[in-house]
Amino acid sequence: MKGILKGMGVTFKAMTDKKVTYAYPDVPINMPDRFRGIQHFDPEKCIVCNQCARICPTDCIQLTGKANPDPTKKGKVIDTYDINFELCILCDLCTEVCPTEAIVMTNNFELASYSRDELFKNLDWLNENNQLIRQENNSAMPKKGGEK
Amino acid sequence: MAIRTEELLLNVGPQHPSTHGVFRVVVHIDGEVITSSDPVMGYLHRGTEKLAENLTYTQIIPYTDRMDYVSAMTNNYVLCHAVETLMGLEIPERAEYLRVIVMELQRIASHLLWWGTYLLDIGAMSPFLFAFRDREMILDFFNELCGARLTYNYMRIGGVKWDAPEGWIEKIRNYVPYLRQQLIEYDALVNGNEIFLARLKGVGKYSAEDAINYGLSGACLRSTGVKWDLRKDRPYSIYNRFEFDVPVETEGDCYARYLIRFAEISESLKILEQAVEQFPAEGETMGKVPRVLRVPEGEVYVGIESPRGEIGCHIISKGKDKPYRLKFRRPSFVNLQILPKLLEGETMTNLVTILGSIDIVVGEVDA
Amino acid sequence: MSDGIQKDQPTPNVEPVIEAPAEPVQLHVWHQLLVDRVSQDAVISCVPNAKNNDLITIIVNPEHFLSTATVLKNDEQFQFDYCRNVSGSDLETHMEVAYYLCSMTLNHEVCIKATTNRETPEVQSLTSVWETANWNEREIFDLLGINFTGHPDMRRIMMPDNWVGHPLRKDYVPLDPEV
Repeated sequence: MKGILKGMGVTFKAMTDKKVTYAYPDVPINMPDRFRGIQHFDPEKCIVCNQCARICPTDCIQLTGKANPDPTKKGKVIDTYDINFELCILCDLCTEVCPTEAIVMTNNFELASYSRDELFKNLDWLNENNQLIRQENNSAMPKKGGEK
Repeated sequence: MAIRTEELLLNVGPQHPSTHGVFRVVVHIDGEVITSSDPVMGYLHRGTEKLAENLTYTQIIPYTDRMDYVSAMTNNYVLCHAVETLMGLEIPERAEYLRVIVMELQRIASHLLWWGTYLLDIGAMSPFLFAFRDREMILDFFNELCGARLTYNYMRIGGVKWDAPEGWIEKIRNYVPYLRQQLIEYDALVNGNEIFLARLKGVGKYSAEDAINYGLSGACLRSTGVKWDLRKDRPYSIYNRFEFDVPVETEGDCYARYLIRFAEISESLKILEQAVEQFPAEGETMGKVPRVLRVPEGEVYVGIESPRGEIGCHIISKGKDKPYRLKFRRPSFVNLQILPKLLEGETMTNLVTILGSIDIVVGEVDA
Repeated sequence: MSDGIQKDQPTPNVEPVIEAPAEPVQLHVWHQLLVDRVSQDAVISCVPNAKNNDLITIIVNPEHFLSTATVLKNDEQFQFDYCRNVSGSDLETHMEVAYYLCSMTLNHEVCIKATTNRETPEVQSLTSVWETANWNEREIFDLLGINFTGHPDMRRIMMPDNWVGHPLRKDYVPLDPEV
């Protein structure tokens, strides 16, 4: 009986504690800068190196490139870029390998939708997702590895 | 007139709150007493080991997050540690400290979650809320460090992805005394409660011989008096630099396992305190790793102490950038084997007590 | 993961003592012991695994697998009472099972292996020696199709009972390539 009363004491003490819950849907939650949310994609920066599609553990990135419309410039420009958020696990590997920071994480995380088709995001949608972009993208991970 | 009794076959799960996931036990009961039981699993089997054969080592790391999803950091570590052992890589000191700090935070978070849900299983509601409040703080630390609250994908082969952000180490330093204070309260809240003691003491008892024979590890093994902690007995990372005790109980019942996990939180706090104190002021967080990881041909098995016991990783490499065969020794899976033996002759109410005390995570049981 | 690590190391900053030269001595002693206690042809090979902290890896003659395991557990020079891990693998030319054993009292480790063919893979079950092997062997049976003779309950454990094929085999064709 003594143990129960002692426990009750702790419970009653907690009544005066500060609230720790969030009023989430009413008040938005601010995530820290490094938070891995839905990617933002900048087609201007992309050099169509295909590294993000290759590193993706779930194969959710599909991209195609086309020849640069400006004949004086070499290389390719991005034509289509799709991420399938049915599969994407927001693991951060695509942004880690991207040499030009064309694909970066944002702090947005609200992806719920009524249809699976809506989870298939294309280049324009990803480009417009430009709020709360992560600032610190050059992580401690050296992008060039050991060989420099 | 004698009452006619009949053996009844009862399915507990797969959808049952106290199985902590999708896990089923088929029990034969005679009245309230279990005569035999057969655990059925595989509902969450995603074939991580098969998937890994077609992924590069870096790509496997996010998959390990999803095995024991309440202790993703130790899963990250065991894979990296196995690959690093095979490659003979040197890890920068700062990365090692960050690894130990996150692993010990993870151990605390995992034990707090267990503590809350276990007491919820038994019928105590408020500890669950307290435990989640304090666990939430750790998740916030992780969120700040690596941008995720559960599936961290934090470690890399050769180091860690992110350095600690500004002021992060300070926050950990302040968290240690805070949680110590909370633990005193939790001790008062639960550990002397007579109903709680009556539910746990003497329930689900086994001997040290049984525990070793069944290959139990972690708190399940230490509750029988076997002092076996891989952090001490097979030191990995930089655990030999810290002073901490390995809590041991001799009873081998649910209460002993409860006490050990409770005490381990304090021990992890000790390690955290020392790690934060010794944390190098500067340095690399990533070792010299070739851009394309080609792991030399060979075979390696390493085991580390996860919150649930020994998590091991066995890699057979053929010199490619993908493993030829990857096998995880999952502590939940191995620890669960003793369940049918423990359930025999127990009442239905004790099923929940015993299953909870083994501390399984179904994502890990099924892999 | 070598021997000679003292339990409860109190002093920090001390590297665990790795008795590198002690390993080969143990290697021959153990080899000889197994030959004496089990059979002349019990051990096929016995080498330290340099990649894994010189863990002694013994490939055992499959015919003497169970008797070797019994000796390893009960002989007072071995006392391997704890089975850490059981793995099975499909090496395309043959199948292999590996048991990582550990002695709690003598604090040493070993890995024993047995090989079998791919057509009708069969290995003696060690469940009677270490109870740990029970579910692990069922898992290997389920995912690789290795039949463990003498196992008390050889059923599938992860996949549904009516599943066709063994997923971890290298020639396994997934039912649905989309998944």
